[in-house]
Amino acid sequence: MATAAPLPELFQERLKSVVAVEFFIQAETERQPVTVLGTVIDDAGTVILPGAAIMPSVAPGQLRDFKIYRPGGTESAAATYLGQDAFTGWHFVRIEEKGRTGLVPVTHWQAMKADPALSDELWGIGLRNKDEDFQPYFLSSRVAIMMNLPQKTVVLGADVAGPGLPVFNAAGELAGLAQPSFGQNFLMFSRNQRGSPVVLVNVEESSVVLLASEVLPHLGRVPKSVTGRPIAWFGAYGLQPMDPEVAKLLKLENQSGVVVSDIMKSSPADEAGLQERDIILAIDGQPLPRLKPDRIVVSYFGQQILRRLPGDTITLSVLRGTANVDLRLKLGDEPKLVREADRRYFEKLGLTVREFLYNDGIIHRASPGTTEGVMVHFIKPGSAVATAGLRSDDWVREIDGVAIKSYTQATEMLAAIEADQHRAEFVLLVSRGGETQVLRVKLN
Amino acid sequence: MSRGFNRLLDAVVRIDVREIEFNDGAKRITGGVGSGVIISNDGLVLTNAHVVSPQAVEISVTLASLERINAKLVGWDHWTDLALLRIDLEAIKSRRLNFAVADFGDSDDLFVGQTVFAVGTPHGLTRTVTRGIISNNKRYFEDSRGVNGYETGAFNTWLQTDAAINPGNSGGPLVTEDGKVVGINSRGYVGADNLGFAIPAKVARTVAATLVKEGAVTRSYAGIGFRELQDLERFYALSANTGVLVANVDVGSPAAKAGLRAGDVVLTLSGRKVDGRFPEQLPPIQQSIAGLPVGSSVKVGVKRGDQVVELSATTEKLESRVGEEWAFEKWGLTVRKVSRAYARENQLTDATGVVVLGVQPGYPAAEAGLARGDIITKVGSNTIAELARLKELYAGYESKPEPQLVEAQRNRRISLYVIKP
Repeated sequence: MATAAPLPELFQERLKSVVAVEFFIQAETERQPVTVLGTVIDDAGTVILPGAAIMPSVAPGQLRDFKIYRPGGTESAAATYLGQDAFTGWHFVRIEEKGRTGLVPVTHWQAMKADPALSDELWGIGLRNKDEDFQPYFLSSRVAIMMNLPQKTVVLGADVAGPGLPVFNAAGELAGLAQPSFGQNFLMFSRNQRGSPVVLVNVEESSVVLLASEVLPHLGRVPKSVTGRPIAWFGAYGLQPMDPEVAKLLKLENQSGVVVSDIMKSSPADEAGLQERDIILAIDGQPLPRLKPDRIVVSYFGQQILRRLPGDTITLSVLRGTANVDLRLKLGDEPKLVREADRRYFEKLGLTVREFLYNDGIIHRASPGTTEGVMVHFIKPGSAVATAGLRSDDWVREIDGVAIKSYTQATEMLAAIEADQHRAEFVLLVSRGGETQVLRVKLN
Repeated sequence: MSRGFNRLLDAVVRIDVREIEFNDGAKRITGGVGSGVIISNDGLVLTNAHVVSPQAVEISVTLASLERINAKLVGWDHWTDLALLRIDLEAIKSRRLNFAVADFGDSDDLFVGQTVFAVGTPHGLTRTVTRGIISNNKRYFEDSRGVNGYETGAFNTWLQTDAAINPGNSGGPLVTEDGKVVGINSRGYVGADNLGFAIPAKVARTVAATLVKEGAVTRSYAGIGFRELQDLERFYALSANTGVLVANVDVGSPAAKAGLRAGDVVLTLSGRKVDGRFPEQLPPIQQSIAGLPVGSSVKVGVKRGDQVVELSATTEKLESRVGEEWAFEKWGLTVRKVSRAYARENQLTDATGVVVLGVQPGYPAAEAGLARGDIITKVGSNTIAELARLKELYAGYESKPEPQLVEAQRNRRISLYVIKP
């Protein structure tokens, strides 16, 4: 093995794989600037960003003006948003062609042949903020613990890289990708408070690293569409891990499982005959692994679904009461997500409504497939509807006494109300937490 | 002061209560102080439901003579925040004690601006008299958990006064200058000055009479959430002073079964015209249903769009949102039965199960992972439809401690736990 280059040299080289990404989330009345860190994954200028960079309810159409900055650079290059991959959670963006010069994909660097071991020293890159030109800096620490969450992850003794940026060993080999950091418990002392507990999360640096063997196989999951589809759908809600004590009592020692809480009618899970209170023990004959903390098995199960495609078939081994049952299940297509819902902002009225989705029906316990009414997505503070007491996430059932049967009907009615100069008021019937209310909106 | 007023002062008592609380996974005794007024020669004392509840284990009454005497709860009614006690007459006799009996005045005759006095034990300061006026004689004030988590105020309006009412005044009388009881002081706005509320004497007398006879007030329930029409008459094309808005219909309630819907306007109830333009008109409307015998048929005249329809609902017994509470001490677990109202508030499928009120750290329930707010629906293979079922299973555990598989829901997620000895 050739002697590795000195760390400062490696550091300068590896910087070619990292960027800062800036964009705006355009909401109804304001735009929120966001800056996150990303890693370049191929020669086509594709960059991955951590899943937490964008809230799930944000529609792709609201994401504007993606710009890429190099470490220490002041010039920006434009980029396009490609979508989010459901399995990894990563967001993908692509840098315009002229902005790609000098970038090196992270795959160019040799990956570590074996997973890093306890006490191995790793290093990574942090980037300062925009006002400091995203100046890069060096971080390093040693591996403190290895975990399956459910992916192989190491936690280091101290922060080792900006979240979303790669981490290397002394030889410059890729060890993995820094994840958003974990919360840490502190006690806060002040003049008035004696040691009240707080959880602090470092948003600029992280000590949590997803290993290269869990990153590299999935870099090809560039979304085919900005919505991230196709996304496989299982159709059960509220999966809970099986407590080890429960496993012991049920004579399932050394087994892991998830308890099913709620099955959506006519979902794949329902059609396969899964029932509430079933305990899922295995997928396709593979027992669910025992993972710590217990709840990780739920993420594991979710990922087993999301790594598959709609139309794929799986076999679930289930404990129902005292009987073991095998179920064959054909995965469906994830119902429309909030970020994909049609929505429209009525500026004068001061609200955005969006389609009533399958998932809204679950929250409101509506019968499956209900498309009646529209959801309030946004309320402009101080507007007519805000004064009337309308809130976001209210379910509008009637407008002016007319039952709303579709999104189109609702938007047409609201548009007509908004356009009518002589309108003094209108009346909404809304559902909120199972209760209905009649709200009177005074205009002018 | 008038003779009547002096006599009234001799009828006001201080009440010290020790009661059971189930909040922290264990049965605990807490203490409280309130006020009351003696209303009959046979020793009936009127006070607030939030001063003395059925969870009281020891009630001690201090007479005007400063002598203390025990009392028992005759009945309570959280809806009107009233409770009725009876002092130990044997002891009165054997100890040769005396007390005065207060006279009621007519609360309907009160006018805004009239001078009134509040008598009671604010912050434990026995025999305090404060003075003010009637600020409003028809205040509407409904609170879904106003009396120790129980509903209150749906069936009566309140007297509002600026006579200082502080914690401990609760249950004491609001009186006129001649010493006539016109209200039972109940609550003040926390953080506000001189905004006190009293239950009108008219309501208090009716409720007290029922409590003496039956120990409780039974009311009818239809499941209609009324809301004032205020400014909406034109929208609903109604003639003036007609109708009340249905803001909500409880799922599975008699009204829902009858076909009533939110957004309907009720024009008549059992043939009588309804006027619910303003919030203070709602309690009489609600009382007109509540006052019917359980199982009565109510004809509801409804305007829906351009149509007027008549629906018929059969009332059920009105239940509180707070179910029976209990402590399972070896488990370090306190629970409350899920009521229909609680199930509805939390969009549960039905009233099966008990809600965890608290767990004691280090005890089996806490060790198993149960926490406040969980709804225990099953133990082993037994569905917990009633609290009695859980008590039975617990008794079984006590005689033969064995690990118990417990099924509980939190935010509609089902989890399994093991309670181990």
